Formats: sequence, C-alpha cells, structure tokens
Amino acid sequence: MKPKSNPMPRLARLITVLALLAAPLAALPSEGDATSLKTVDQDVQALKKQLIDLNRDLFKLEEELLYPASTQVAVFLSVDVGTFFALDSVTLKVDDKEVANYLYTEREVQALHRGGVQKLYLGNLKAGSHEIVAFFTGKGPHDRDYRRGTTLKLDKTVGAKYVELRISDREASLQPEFVVRQWE
Amino acid sequence: MAAAIAATVGMPAFAAPPALDSLAPDFALKGIDGRNVRLSEFRGEPVVLHFWASWCGPCRESVAALDALGQSSGASVLGVNLDGADRAAAVAASLRLKAPTLVDAQQSVARTYDVEKLPLTLLLDAEGHVRASWSGVAADLSELTPQLDRLRQD
Repeated sequence: MKPKSNPMPRLARLITVLALLAAPLAALPSEGDATSLKTVDQDVQALKKQLIDLNRDLFKLEEELLYPASTQVAVFLSVDVGTFFALDSVTLKVDDKEVANYLYTEREVQALHRGGVQKLYLGNLKAGSHEIVAFFTGKGPHDRDYRRGTTLKLDKTVGAKYVELRISDREASLQPEFVVRQWE
Repeated sequence: MAAAIAATVGMPAFAAPPALDSLAPDFALKGIDGRNVRLSEFRGEPVVLHFWASWCGPCRESVAALDALGQSSGASVLGVNLDGADRAAAVAASLRLKAPTLVDAQQSVARTYDVEKLPLTLLLDAEGHVRASWSGVAADLSELTPQLDRLRQD
C-alpha cells in the first residue's frame, strides 16, 4: 500500500523550509562580537520553537479535519508490567474488518514497558454500536506461544471515543491479562 | 546475461521499485531467528536492503556476496526473503548468512516496494532515502561498495 498523498504535511514542510531559509537573512549579526552571536542564537532558538509550535498546530488541524470529533475513534495500547507476556504482534478488527496489524520490535516492546502508549489506530466510525476485536500474539508463561483475543462492544456517540488496550499481569493465576477500557 | 536469467516475481509488469532519492517505505518483518525488525530503526546509518528468494539463481550469489560485504564492512545488510520461514532458514543456514534474514512470505513488503524482478537490492542512506538500486541483477559490488563507504562517512 502506498502512502497517501496529503497536502497538509507538505504545507508544513514548505513553511519550515521557507522559514529556515529566511532565518539567516533575518538574523545576520551586524558585528562579529559575542553579543551579536548570542542574539542570533536566541533568535534561531525562538524561531525553532515557533516552527515546532506551528508544525504541532498544523498536525492537530490535519487530525481534526481528517478525524472530526463527531466520528473519531482512537485505539491505544499500553503494557503494565507484562512479565507473563512478551508481545509480538497485535491485530485489530473493527466491525470484522482488519484495520491494524502491528509487529513489535524489541525496542518498541521496551518502550511500552517503560510506560509508552502507542496509538494503534485512528479512524472514523458513525454513531451506533460497533465491535472492536484485538488479537494479541507473543510468548506467554513458560515461553509458550500465546494468542489471545479480546472483544469490546462499542456504543459510538457523537463525541470522540478512545479505547485503551492494556496488557497487564494477573498475579493470582500467573497469567497475562488483556483489559479493554473506554475513555470519553 | 544476469538480467536475462533473472527471475520474475509474479507481480504486475507496470510496477517499479522505489525511485532514486525517494524515501524507502517503512516495514516490520519477522526474522528467521524469531525477532521482529523494523526498517526505520536503522535510521542514522546506511542500509543495504536485499529482496531475494531461494528459487532465484542470481539471488543466492547476490545474498551471499552482500552478507560478506556486511561482515567485512560492518554495514547493515537486511535480506528480505520471499519464500517462507522454513525455506528461508534452510537457505540462510546453507549459505551461512550472518545478516538478518527477514521473511515476507505474504509478499506484502514486496508489493509495497513494487518488486518486479529478483534480486532487488537497494542502497539506503542514513535517512532512509534510496541512493542506488539494482533490479533483476546481482548488485555490482564495485559500484555499491564505494557508495556505501561514502554514505557511512557522511
């Protein structure tokens, strides 16, 4: 599948490039002393910050346009402890249609163990009832291949819906636990 | 000669591998050692990406030569095999490959890369842009090696 052509990132990049090209012209020191250089450096830093802010605003705008709050559904994945399960991949289905299939590298698993949260899916769903199914594969207790599915009946209302898939440990049974939570 | 005997993957003829200077699409695949590898995690260093299959004669020579190049230079070489995990592991063992061999049995990555002929070798720079490619023939090491050295020095 080829990446979709989207005008917004191109616009952001264009603005960034133009600003970077303009920066040295606007901030050339009139004298070569340390004070001028310091001022130039401060100007460059301020400009960088403005560009980062602008990029962030454009990214938010892009998301709001593509995924309006009225239809937006986002699915996140997190790992809490996770000593009984070594994550390998997650397949996500919405209304029986596969929307995400993610293979995790060691670095990504480590990042999740350090508290990272992954946005696994962002899409649009109309109001009404929907079904989200997630399949987790990996190594379970005793290094055995492990595959587990979990289902969530989702009642999509007008506002944005956030779903969290959390992998945690069930200490009592020494088994992994896959929890699905909804956030408004 | 090599081009004449190069194997053709069952893909549409209109396809073409990523153009020079274009960004190589990111992917994640499972290796024959069971580890998952994501291309973008190699950002910051040049990568030689090599698509091959066991039934393609020139591929075997090419993959062995690239593996040796990776060993001698320390450069990252990623082989993407289009057979299946068992077959890929058997061939990798017989050729004593040291570089990661990734398995794309569904050929989903091959489709993303529009692999039309095998072997396909791409030289990617540290930012993941395609700097050179060889399609349907074994990569010419006399061209690839100096380019790789230059990219590693940048």
